[in-house]
Amino acid sequence: MAEITENMIKSKDNLGAPENRIEGFLKVTGKAKYAAEFSVPNVLYGFPVRSTIAAGTMTDIDTAEAEKAEGVVKVFTHKNAMKFNPAPDVESTNKMTMPKSVLNTTAINSFGQYIGFVVAETFEQARYAANLVKATYQETDPKIDFDKYVDTAYKPDNANGAATDTQRGSMEEGMSNASKTLDITYQTPIEVHNPMEPHATIAVFEGDALTVYDATQMLGPSKVAISNTFNIPQEKIRVLAPYIGGGFGSKLRAWDHVMLTIMAAKMLDKPVKTAITRQMMQTNAGLRQLNRQHMRIGTSTDGKLTAMSHEVMTHTAVDEVFVEQAGFITRTMYDTPNQLVTHRVFDTNIQVPTWMRAPGETPGSFALECTMDEMADQLQMDPIAFRIKNEPKTNPLDGKPFSSRSLVQCMQVGADKFGWSKRKQEPRQNTKDNWLVGYGMAAASRAAPYQESSSRVKLSYGDDGLEAVIEMAATDIGTGTYTIIAQTAANCLDIPVDRVAVNIGDSDLPATPGSGGSWGAGSFTSAVDAVCEKAKSALKNKITSDSSALTTADELMKAAKLTEFEMEATEGPSEDSKKYAHFSYGAHFVEVWVDEDLGMVKIPRVLSTSAVGTVLNQKTARSQVVGGIVWGIGQAMTEETTLDKRYGSYVTRTFADYHVPVNLDVGDIEVHFIPEEDEHINRMGVKGIGELGITSVAAAIANAIYNATGKRMRTLPITPAKLVDYEKQPVA
Amino acid sequence: MRPFTYTKTEDTAQATSKLAANENAKYLAGGTNLLDLMKEDVERPDELVDIGLLDLTDIKETSTGVSLGAMAKNTETANHPLVRKNFPMLSLAILAGASGQIRNMATNGGNPNQRTRCAYFFDTAMPCNKREPGTGCGALEGQNHMHAIFGWNENCVAVHPSDMCIALAALDATVTIADGNGKTRTIPFTEYHRLPGDQPERDNNLERGELITSIEIPKNNFAKNSYYVKVRDRSSYAFALISVGAGLELQGKTIKNARIAMGGVAHKPWRAYEAEQFLKGKEATEENFEAAADAEMANAKTLEHNAFKVPLGKQAMVRALNVALSGEKV
Ligand SMILES: Cc1cc2nc3c(=O)[nH]c(=O)nc-3n(C[C@H](O)[C@H](O)[C@H](O)COP(=O)(O)OP(=O)(O)OC[C@H]3O[C@@H](n4cnc5c(N)ncnc54)[C@H](O)[C@@H]3O)c2cc1C
Ligand code: SF4
Repeated sequence: MAEITENMIKSKDNLGAPENRIEGFLKVTGKAKYAAEFSVPNVLYGFPVRSTIAAGTMTDIDTAEAEKAEGVVKVFTHKNAMKFNPAPDVESTNKMTMPKSVLNTTAINSFGQYIGFVVAETFEQARYAANLVKATYQETDPKIDFDKYVDTAYKPDNANGAATDTQRGSMEEGMSNASKTLDITYQTPIEVHNPMEPHATIAVFEGDALTVYDATQMLGPSKVAISNTFNIPQEKIRVLAPYIGGGFGSKLRAWDHVMLTIMAAKMLDKPVKTAITRQMMQTNAGLRQLNRQHMRIGTSTDGKLTAMSHEVMTHTAVDEVFVEQAGFITRTMYDTPNQLVTHRVFDTNIQVPTWMRAPGETPGSFALECTMDEMADQLQMDPIAFRIKNEPKTNPLDGKPFSSRSLVQCMQVGADKFGWSKRKQEPRQNTKDNWLVGYGMAAASRAAPYQESSSRVKLSYGDDGLEAVIEMAATDIGTGTYTIIAQTAANCLDIPVDRVAVNIGDSDLPATPGSGGSWGAGSFTSAVDAVCEKAKSALKNKITSDSSALTTADELMKAAKLTEFEMEATEGPSEDSKKYAHFSYGAHFVEVWVDEDLGMVKIPRVLSTSAVGTVLNQKTARSQVVGGIVWGIGQAMTEETTLDKRYGSYVTRTFADYHVPVNLDVGDIEVHFIPEEDEHINRMGVKGIGELGITSVAAAIANAIYNATGKRMRTLPITPAKLVDYEKQPVA
Repeated sequence: MRPFTYTKTEDTAQATSKLAANENAKYLAGGTNLLDLMKEDVERPDELVDIGLLDLTDIKETSTGVSLGAMAKNTETANHPLVRKNFPMLSLAILAGASGQIRNMATNGGNPNQRTRCAYFFDTAMPCNKREPGTGCGALEGQNHMHAIFGWNENCVAVHPSDMCIALAALDATVTIADGNGKTRTIPFTEYHRLPGDQPERDNNLERGELITSIEIPKNNFAKNSYYVKVRDRSSYAFALISVGAGLELQGKTIKNARIAMGGVAHKPWRAYEAEQFLKGKEATEENFEAAADAEMANAKTLEHNAFKVPLGKQAMVRALNVALSGEKV
């Protein structure tokens, strides 16, 4: 893989250095403890029992045999579970914090729903006994089949907090004024996050105080959800998550296994540990739902957009609404006088969808950026030129100026480095042995939300000089949080990185928004920079002599005659930042080789450019983009959760059937950061990276496959079956 | 996982007699398939007899060909000079399967006995005649893009998942089997696995307690012109949608003999006899390869989600024959 070029990195003083992960040694030596790895004395093991139907009522559940099995301490069902308060209405704002009710019903809403919970002395005993629990059901016909239930769709209140529908001008007018029009439907499948570390929870009560070791991206909201569910005051709850093996959105909210574990610990007055299986990761920890996306686009002969619509049809659970804002990206990406974006949803007996890496943009960009490619092809125009022609001056959604928008540079620099000029506009013109070779590109954007965060710094002296400890309730889900916090503090305090200790993953520490929505890096480091600056000013104020020449923390500490000092600060969006629209931008360039006879596709290289404001650490930033691209390859080529329409059961139950890409699916990946200074978003000038990397990758791949073969692949994933049997694509 | 007893033995006769004595006992070889299925509660043995110490690891030349010990690992087999030189198709097939780690554990005796990857078979919440005879076939009208196009009936539409076995079927291997009474028997590899018939629960013709001790491959003249093509949903570490092992014995441009077997299409490794028959005595040309593949695929019967296997099967067979003809050692 090619290295990033150093001179392209925007550095804030000595920030940006490709420091190795400061916790890397602990991770590779197995010393970094993940939730399930904490050893708690006298812990019992929980194992959920799952329903074997997707819809209906449980008429009985027989636990007699399970209770007799060796090591079993208790089998919980609706008959003996704690009584929970009925769940409130689910709003987009309370999804992470609302109380949950588990095992309080006999209604079955989705396949695999937890209907019991076995607690035993060992994990194996609990798993075995769970198999001995027998439920009987009154089944109803489960709503699974998309085409069968799509007619029951309704207009939801919002799309993941964004407006359900937006309209500008008139689509009809825009389309009739157009000299070229297209009307196309794209489809992205159900996907499951499948982080490497399956979810796990340990609950320990000491008196009325509760400690929870949990695989969670967000300590604060988990704490509030637990407090609301069990009526335990928040100050009596401590959530610990020092290391997390990936989240991708599946670890944002506390799922039912968390509540089952705490309930069992409370009722048995013993610590309980639950580690859910890979199979449960498919059925009980959220998914991205199928999105059917209807696109219409019209342009003048010279490629100026006259109209663009993006109408999304999707599904949610019968007992909870979640609608991904797949059409959102179309509202903000290009300039068009007439536009319509809508979201519709219908209920199914499929578990509730949830946030997944770049919610909205990941499926939405596939439809939008393929549509742009299809239109460029119609216009016989270069796809980059077509996009530049429709570059907006301000955010088309609300007219706000962009805090920074380097999309054009991303496309131009990327094209240059990739060798885009060698692309042949006409498909099927480039071959190599049995392979058809194609080039494709797509533009990417991802909202860059920034959130308020707090942080504490503790200064003291060690053998080598001044040392700092940074404390905050942040999480590192594998992204590099530890390292960028240390770098930021070291930079501000003028000490080496290895003299900063980072203490995170503990809800008792100063509050942060956690890791999600790509806001982690900007929010955490802005708080760290703020607290370090605040500490320095406070020290200055303590100095009675002239302190004007003193700059470093060490000098200030010495002048103030202090050996220890502590400071806390909270930093959030400024009034200035609210006047701007904040997005990260990028462009992906892809080369594919297609073996048409066998339906096989190779992706020998992907080159991506990203404009994300300040790059805090070249190495961890690059890894974020590379990881996003790899998942984009999975989204394009291999990943799909399939359900049986009759039973609502999952046909893709493990990693053997749910295909994440393997090394051989991934060729060279080259990442370039476009120098960019964002003076408005936050004090560090940091925009999000983690979700930008995946956005539009699938579109770039599909566009490259078209360039190679002349075949438009509009339904993901692009499997050998679809390429070989092209005429029979599900939606076209 | 249900409780079970575990024993280990170095003696083949002792191993077979243990299984003869307990119908709920199973041999444990590499464990890469059996242990997964036990965790899923699909296989439910109450006794495991670990055969890892049996002295059946030799890969050696015999007067008729090459003998592969049942306990030799897949990795060692694929890389063995005798196999690479005489039966490159087998090397390619083994290396196209699973991953390096799994092949390091997987044995030549365990591989032919791995169970189908049908998701309904793996999910105890689902009906499955193979797992629980009489409950129906979940895949027949369910999600069946991985399933059979040849030789199935409504009792079961599963496919045999092995790559190694496709090459063994094409190469006319035989299986040597020891029973619980110290006797051995030999059956052709093509008759080892079964079609579902009315006993879909039986994958093969191994009788209770019997143990594969070795697999013999007779000498042949296909080494120069043979190939194995595998098409799957990702580049590696996935089971075959379609695979084809092909070998040609040429006399000038004329095909003296052709051997073709397909994977991912039937409940057993599928010997493409129609295609072989068609090619015998004909010139080795792309047109003839296509006609041969058409002849074979003409008998395909597809399910709701696997119609793509007909064009793909044809194209994969033509590809395998073309590469075999070119003599390229890819
Ligand atoms: C994720 C994954 C992907 C895979 N992908 C592929 C693939 O692409 N292609 C492929 O071909 N395979 C694939 N495999 C399967 C793998 O090849 C088999 O699991 C392996 O060959 C089985 O051998 P084993 O020695 O581990 O058998 P075990 O699991 O030990 O045994 C399997 C069965 O055979 C029986 N048995 C073992 N030895 C004997 C004997 N000598 N005589 C009689 N019965 C015996 C056992 O009792 C048991 O019922 C994959 C497996 C996994 C887990
Ligand atoms: S195809 Fe065979 S293994 Fe699969 S469900 Fe049907 S009977 Fe069971």
